[in-house]
Amino acid sequence: MQVEYPKPSWSQKFLVLDLLEGLKTTFRELFKPKVTVRYPEERNEPTDRFRGMFKFSYDRCIACKLCAVACPIDIIYIDVHDDMIEEGGKKKKVKVLDRYDIDVKRCMFCALCEEACPTKPKSIWLTTKTYELATYDRNDLYFNMQELEYWEDRPRYTGLPEEDEKPRLDETRLLK
Amino acid sequence: MNKALLTYLVWPLVKFLIAFIIVQLIVVAMTWIERRLLGFIQARLGPNRVGPWGLLQGIADPVKLLLKEDILPTSAEKIAYFLGPMLPLIPAFVVFALIPYGPPPAFTVTRVNVGLLLILAITSTAVYGIILGGWASNNKYSLMGGLRSAAQMVSYEVPFGLSIVGVLMITGSLDLVQIVRYQETNAWNFLPQLVACFIFFVSMNAENNRTPFDLPEAESELVAGFHTEYSGMKFAFFMLAEYSMMIVNSCLIVTLFFGGWTFGMFGVGLTTSVLRGMGFFGGILGAAIFFAKVMVFMLVYVWFRATFPRFRFDQLMDLGWKWMIPLALGNIFVTGLFILAGQERLMYWIGLALLGATVFYLGRKPAPRKGIHASRVSEA
Amino acid sequence: MFDVHEMEVNFGPQHPSTHGVLRVLLKIDGERIIEAKPVIGYLHRGTEKLFEHMAYPQCIPHTDRMDYVASATNNLGFVETVEKLMGVTKQIPRRAQILRVILSELQRISSHLLWLATHAIDIGAMTPFFYCFREREQILDFFEAYCGARLTLNCMRIGGMPEDVPAGWLEDIEAFCDKFDAAVDEYESLLTTNRIWKRRTVGIGVLSPEEAIEWGITGPPLRGSGVEWDLRRAQPYEIYPELDFEVPVGKNGDTYDRYLVRMEEMRQSNRILKQCIPLIRETPAGDLKAKISKVIRPPEGEVYHSIESPKGELGYYIVSDGKTQNAYRCHVRPPSFVNLQALPAMARGHLVSDLVALIGTIDIVLGEVDR
Repeated sequence: MQVEYPKPSWSQKFLVLDLLEGLKTTFRELFKPKVTVRYPEERNEPTDRFRGMFKFSYDRCIACKLCAVACPIDIIYIDVHDDMIEEGGKKKKVKVLDRYDIDVKRCMFCALCEEACPTKPKSIWLTTKTYELATYDRNDLYFNMQELEYWEDRPRYTGLPEEDEKPRLDETRLLK
Repeated sequence: MNKALLTYLVWPLVKFLIAFIIVQLIVVAMTWIERRLLGFIQARLGPNRVGPWGLLQGIADPVKLLLKEDILPTSAEKIAYFLGPMLPLIPAFVVFALIPYGPPPAFTVTRVNVGLLLILAITSTAVYGIILGGWASNNKYSLMGGLRSAAQMVSYEVPFGLSIVGVLMITGSLDLVQIVRYQETNAWNFLPQLVACFIFFVSMNAENNRTPFDLPEAESELVAGFHTEYSGMKFAFFMLAEYSMMIVNSCLIVTLFFGGWTFGMFGVGLTTSVLRGMGFFGGILGAAIFFAKVMVFMLVYVWFRATFPRFRFDQLMDLGWKWMIPLALGNIFVTGLFILAGQERLMYWIGLALLGATVFYLGRKPAPRKGIHASRVSEA
Repeated sequence: MFDVHEMEVNFGPQHPSTHGVLRVLLKIDGERIIEAKPVIGYLHRGTEKLFEHMAYPQCIPHTDRMDYVASATNNLGFVETVEKLMGVTKQIPRRAQILRVILSELQRISSHLLWLATHAIDIGAMTPFFYCFREREQILDFFEAYCGARLTLNCMRIGGMPEDVPAGWLEDIEAFCDKFDAAVDEYESLLTTNRIWKRRTVGIGVLSPEEAIEWGITGPPLRGSGVEWDLRRAQPYEIYPELDFEVPVGKNGDTYDRYLVRMEEMRQSNRILKQCIPLIRETPAGDLKAKISKVIRPPEGEVYHSIESPKGELGYYIVSDGKTQNAYRCHVRPPSFVNLQALPAMARGHLVSDLVALIGTIDIVLGEVDR
């Protein structure tokens, strides 16, 4: 299909209507509602599927390592050892999770780990509706197992710290 | 005290200072108004953080610029680099002594009988600072910005001056006060001189490097043009000069074409004699009317900035030399014919008809273009 | 002393209008361009090499990052190529196919909106930028509702789609479609007839059809030159044969024609969306994945497949050795990279201001150019 070219008449050209038309549009737009979200006061609520910060559940995890395999950039570190427990008089071999770390600073939030997780409900998921993940120290974005489960308790960013009370790695990390 | 000293030095200085302060307040307010209005036109809010509704933005910006580091590029031409931002300020400030803000003599600083020519002469020196700054920065983009600016300002001086000639022919005076007094007894000059008004408005946009003629500082092409290398207070000086010049030109267009401090035509309405009858309050009212009109044109600057794309350099020259100057000359010729024939009133009707036709066309819904809208036509 | 007719200017990589990190070495005489030489590679991340070390599903998030303003079409191109390699193209459920078309047409609109925004602001009109982004935000909201991300979507899987449509999603898109034509009209009222815009675009960077084909240019720049070549029609994929839409073509091959073509393409994409929504309602919910094994190990062979991305022909060439879960070699044919080749020829003899318009009109994304 051939696109059509606008052909203004000579009178329209003479009265610079093409320019005035644009001025009309911008003038009308002046009175239309504005779309700005005044961020710290107003916040956009993420949708239900929004991929935000990880959440991990130690109880649900079966230590199958599928998430670590699925991760395109290998930032999930899992260590597992086998343990024998007694259940109803029988000895049973179970996998015990020693380490479950995610290097969130390198994460690209593709959610392939969540998709790979075989447990129901998932034991690692990103639908936490969070997006304020900035920290002052990039090492703060390395999360271990406990932090992944209880990161709500981590001290959140509240404002610019004074020079002498810059958050140190050891102070801000819980349960180390 | 010597009476002559009082009338010719002290009072003008006091009045100039008052006018200067008002104008600088408008400049400060414009930094906020411009960004806020741009924001509103562009479906956003603009600066709203500093103070209530962001009103203190106009103070926050200069303070920030004052506190910034004043960078001197190592390869810059030191003296010229320093002079660059200073030079445009001088004409921009001096001109405020020549503009009649209200009914004379109380509300004019100095009344010069060739005031208009003097203003044109002084404002045209503003370009030196920009060329000097652009060249002294020793940056290729700055140089290109400075050269563009030089060519542009020199070219548009011509239609700028020529468009005024029509006004001079009707009013028969170079005295700004006389021009305003003429307009209150007859119609405001934009009616008989609609074409001249249009040319004047276009040229004044070009003189001020405002969109759609903002080539010297075209952000997407020359990074920031002539002030790429400037920071801190030097940059603020460039901005101050630019906005002061915008106000000067708005003052000029109001005085020449939109009746200055009066609000009435054909001797009806708030004319000078009516304002004088009200005493000092009348003078203040006249000045308020004047600055209100100036603010309208300042807002139109912003409106234009929000709407139009930028010309290319050669097209700008093309427009100036091939369209604006012949048009201005033609306007002078036609005006002369009308005056010779003694049919000056006819020019009002032509101006009114042109305005009416424009409004009529604009009010109409544009006919949908068939090909482009084929997708919707087929569905309907 | 003044033997300086020519000046060399580094246009970029840090420049407001090079759309990322493109560097153009300019040789100029006054403002006239004698030679423009694009220098690329500032955003090279070795994506093709990365693909050789990743299982196929893991490559999908990396394809997002090539043309990062149109990641859905990048995903689509990759998954379709792998499906073709595996020979399962026919088994993709219809609902998944329609969903893919919806996502890629939304992406086409959002990519064109971003193009218009930056193109207009390069030429000096700053307001269309904000209007375009206002509508683009709504499209990004749809993406967020569907797959959880706004920009780097990772929204397609080999063999189908990861998730079904969320509740109320289709209704929202319908409401958007109804309003979108008016929005395009609004942009056009600011630009299409504007004499300054026309002066800046008409006759700038003219490409004849023959030249365009010789340069290998695809997408809107090719159609702007008057060649009716759209892979959605020429080599149809997914459900495009069933859909009713026009392929807009220009006549003069200048910047203005490319502008008109893209504007019309937005309208046509909107029209496709309107047709797709009733179609997807007819299909059963939840039927989204072909029955293929979880571990993707295509047979030995090689395949080239291309789709019409918003910027042109986006092709993937994958070689599989049949033994491993990752590609032996993966090559991407990015439309931006190929279209960028024409820049020196288009820019020669124009002014510096036109270079900005030309970079805008070929609609490059440096993530895709450098991969």
